[in-house]
Amino acid sequence: MATDIIIPADLWEGDEESVITAWLASDGAEVKEGALIAEIMTAKVQNEITAPASGKLSILKEQEAVVVKGDVIGRIE
Amino acid sequence: MIPVAFRTPADGIAREEALLAAGRPALLLWRAETAALVVPASWTRREGFPAARERCAQAGWPLIARSSGGGGVPQGPGTLNLALVVPVPRGFTIEAGFRLICGAVGEALTRFEVATGVGPVAGSFCDGAWNVTAHGRKLAGTAQRWRARGAGRVALVHAALVLDPLPASFWTALGHAHRAAGVAGPIRPEAHVALSDVLPGGMRTGSVFGALARAAEDRLATLPPVRRQAA
Repeated sequence: MATDIIIPADLWEGDEESVITAWLASDGAEVKEGALIAEIMTAKVQNEITAPASGKLSILKEQEAVVVKGDVIGRIE
Repeated sequence: MIPVAFRTPADGIAREEALLAAGRPALLLWRAETAALVVPASWTRREGFPAARERCAQAGWPLIARSSGGGGVPQGPGTLNLALVVPVPRGFTIEAGFRLICGAVGEALTRFEVATGVGPVAGSFCDGAWNVTAHGRKLAGTAQRWRARGAGRVALVHAALVLDPLPASFWTALGHAHRAAGVAGPIRPEAHVALSDVLPGGMRTGSVFGALARAAEDRLATLPPVRRQAA
């Protein structure tokens, strides 16, 4: 079963857009639940995105993509 | 209070990262012995950036890439870094993090009769809403990094304070980097001010370091303990 990687709604206050500044695992890589896999930046605050499950990572939003809360940026199968 | 001296900015940034990884309350005041221009890693992937890297190095400002966004910032003997690691208590927000660090810098400088403000400064490098300003010019920039840790979060709250006026070579290097990265808008050196410019006559910038650390410690001490709250 696939698990979406979603920008959490409580990651920052407000509804500002954010930018994916780095993917720390490659598309297709095996990742473990809880591992740091991406970083996103909102108004000079860097937030870390961890893997919500273990499995194979599919990147749906590339580095430097603009995202908002609730966006699905990747998937783990 | 003597700031920790790291050989390179990369060493200082790595130490901050290690403190964040440890997840315990911490205060680190540091500067680097050698200068570098620290830029977002995304800039370095742009076509034409290798040439800019070479030009920056030739100007005496070798580039160091960091994972976060924002803009290019100077590091070296003329930049003092204040890094606070804060296990995030309930109700502590990103804004609270910025208020904490800007408040600490402002309070420390008030003791030296330097009035400060907080806000964006048009034309400054790595501009943001939470700069510490003096005379309407940018004196310090701030940023944060938040990390999930167990059921809670830990924040690295950071300020970089320009101690001495930046040399012409820095602005040259920053220009190279900005052009290669496609950064729009002019950066104005006069949008910035150094601590040595605003301290009362004859006072050395090192006089402020102890007050800065104490002001930060005082603010950290007012935060509710995370464990007690969770119990």
